[in-house]
Amino acid sequence: MQAFLDIMTIFTQPQLLLLVGLGTFAGVYVGAIPGLSVTMAVSILISFTFSWDVYPALSLMIGIYMGGVYGGSRTAILLNIPGAPSAIATALDGYPLAQRGEAGTAIGVTTVMSFIGGFIGIGVLALAAPFVSDFALTFQPRDYMLLAVLGILLVGSLSQGSLVKGIFAGALGIAIGAVGRDPLTFDERFTFGLPIMENGISFIAVMIGMFGVSEALLQLHHVNKDAVRQKIDKIVPSFATVKKHLPLSLQTSSIGVLIGALPGTGGDIAALMAYDHAKRVTKNPERPFGTGAIEGLVAPETANNAAVGGAFIPMMTLGIPGDAVTAIMIGALFIHGLNPGPMLMIEQPHMFWFIVGALITANFFMLIFGLTGIRLFTKIVEMPRSVLIPLIMLLSIVGAYAVNNAITDVYWMLGFGLFGYFMRHYGYPLGPVILGVILSRLLDDNWRRAIISEREDLGLFFQGILTSPLSLVLFIAVILIFVSQTPIWHKGKARLLGGKAA
Amino acid sequence: MKRMVFGALGALALSVTAAVAEYPEKEIQGIIQWGAGGSTDTVMRSVTPHAEDVLGGKVVLQNITGGVGAIALNQVAGAKADGYTLLMGAENPLLYKVLGLGKKDYSDFIPINVLARGTAILVASPDAPFDDYAGMMEHIKANPGAVRFGSTGPGGLPSVITAMIESVEGGLDVIKVPYDGDGPALTALQGGAIDVMPAVLGASIEFIRAGSMKPLAVFDTEANKNLPDAPTITSFNAGYEAHLPWGPFFGVFVPNGTPDDVVAKLTEAYKVGAENADFIELMDGRGFTMMNISGAEAQDFLTNWQQGTAWLLQDAGLTKASPEEFGIARPAE
Repeated sequence: MQAFLDIMTIFTQPQLLLLVGLGTFAGVYVGAIPGLSVTMAVSILISFTFSWDVYPALSLMIGIYMGGVYGGSRTAILLNIPGAPSAIATALDGYPLAQRGEAGTAIGVTTVMSFIGGFIGIGVLALAAPFVSDFALTFQPRDYMLLAVLGILLVGSLSQGSLVKGIFAGALGIAIGAVGRDPLTFDERFTFGLPIMENGISFIAVMIGMFGVSEALLQLHHVNKDAVRQKIDKIVPSFATVKKHLPLSLQTSSIGVLIGALPGTGGDIAALMAYDHAKRVTKNPERPFGTGAIEGLVAPETANNAAVGGAFIPMMTLGIPGDAVTAIMIGALFIHGLNPGPMLMIEQPHMFWFIVGALITANFFMLIFGLTGIRLFTKIVEMPRSVLIPLIMLLSIVGAYAVNNAITDVYWMLGFGLFGYFMRHYGYPLGPVILGVILSRLLDDNWRRAIISEREDLGLFFQGILTSPLSLVLFIAVILIFVSQTPIWHKGKARLLGGKAA
Repeated sequence: MKRMVFGALGALALSVTAAVAEYPEKEIQGIIQWGAGGSTDTVMRSVTPHAEDVLGGKVVLQNITGGVGAIALNQVAGAKADGYTLLMGAENPLLYKVLGLGKKDYSDFIPINVLARGTAILVASPDAPFDDYAGMMEHIKANPGAVRFGSTGPGGLPSVITAMIESVEGGLDVIKVPYDGDGPALTALQGGAIDVMPAVLGASIEFIRAGSMKPLAVFDTEANKNLPDAPTITSFNAGYEAHLPWGPFFGVFVPNGTPDDVVAKLTEAYKVGAENADFIELMDGRGFTMMNISGAEAQDFLTNWQQGTAWLLQDAGLTKASPEEFGIARPAE
């Protein structure tokens, strides 16, 4: 009962309600601009809200967080530039939909699915937080490594056409992620002694270049073609559509919550894994994946918004951040005189329920702001290409610069844009490159931790995998997914099932 | 008379350079060496608003991370020495030269204020088969190469603490598992991936209170008031006294060559800002020891810190170049 009253705190104070709304609105637009990240926005807010009380400050930050995670999908769908890393998978099917003139439908589905995913994340946070955080803590370095390997296998579903080219692209991504000073030993890797390489290659710059600039260059081929007219009569998806995708969205939301709750992984990996899951379980999509499948929107968008609730789980129960944004929020709680840690939920339960309440409110605001203003947004893609292409370039440059306020990032971005253009030209998929960059450190760091922990003994390492139930499950999943993508599997399946498969 | 002198000085300054006369006449940039949400970030974002009140200007804070903080340091060192770019950093730059991470350190800067110092603590997972430092050392001797220590790369707090243990006790036969920061390592400690972690007291205090980790020894000569029951390392082995007190610290710096009156104004602002009751309470709560020193006192502190730590790492074989090459003298025994 007390919990319910604490959740309702936010509704009894119009000022807090307004701040959540304002935050969500700002978040949707901050999230939509590539390079401007939620992490950045929340850290600026720490200084800005320094003299405020803790509730108003948190209201604004939670609004920005929720809105920002969703907002990344906007530019992904309309311009093929993911506004945030967690919207990479959204671009894969969202952009083809916009090119068919169905951007309105795509945004509508995305919004409703983000809302559903957001709720599932919040629900798990409210009802099962201690249980999930205990489970998340049991992940050992070798489990994170296996998770990364599982992620690498997504290359198969992200590469349309040639798998070999996909593997090449993925390997390139992993190599790009390894450039710079090694975060564990500070040794230089692949820097060729150049100071510019020492700090590594900004992953956001690679992402913006590969998606944004290469798209702009590709569009130059048909400058004179008319822009696609957008149908915006049916934005809100029908109840039947939502119902049809509900089982999938429940599965992908669960992936989102768990990956979000793991202290080493966030919404970007969650969205990509969910996309892969959707591709595997969806037997007959209306359209093939990669050409505008609705399932390809449902999966990443439910997962990345569910990851928000997930990220709060270890933060609230253990004082351990679930991702970069919750790490900053822990800092904010300190500044406001609270001691976030395992005792917070015991000593100040109202804080926990207030955050749940603020998240629920932000989720509703996200739905409202998401479904309004679509007409204006879709106008962007209806602009003549001679306006659109410079706009994409401008957005890409500003975005790349904004990440670290470094001009070097702009050069990297342009370089990778040009490179991405030629990759697309020769049929190399770009998705696996980004996947490789995202997973590079997860794989590298945790493999080293795992093997160092076993005194560099491979036998002990495998013994560890086989004796831990969690590691064993992940290991079997890796093998099954790997084998299921090989011809042997299909042959075996055909033989076993006989006539049915044929 | 006094007013006349000040007036004359003011007029003089105005005629020499207009910018200095009314410092600050535009926004000041504060470059934080470490990421948002970390210790350095939290400390700087908490003290700066109080300093702004004294300064009568705005300090815009920005996190520039990477290269163990060297990117931010080099950027501020290369900025105009006019007091409009501040470096907000931690202890790491004093080890850049010996670790081969950079060619610049705080000797290229004037310290405005060394705000506070952290205390190191050795924590263990609650399931560990020992309860204090002495028990841990016995366990390590009985089980060589079995205990897992968390580490955060050369020059990080864990590397200095393990170097200190090795210098006092002789060898330390443990597995050192690398993490990219004490946050992830403390998480791993709770998940059982590592057994022992040398950490800064503030980062582990809430976990100790909740019983999700246990303190083995506080690396200080006297008990910490936040954890009065945790034993000090010197109560186990007096050999540590030569190296203590030691701890990471936070400071605000400007590049060498910044005009004296600007330095004076900033020094005053941060001195008064750091005296703010809210800030002191926050620092106490996180287990930091307030220092609030500036000028020659801060300079001496930096010199001593660098000599002690650089030579400790040198003796442990963790450096890439000897401190001697950079004129860092071995501390007097």
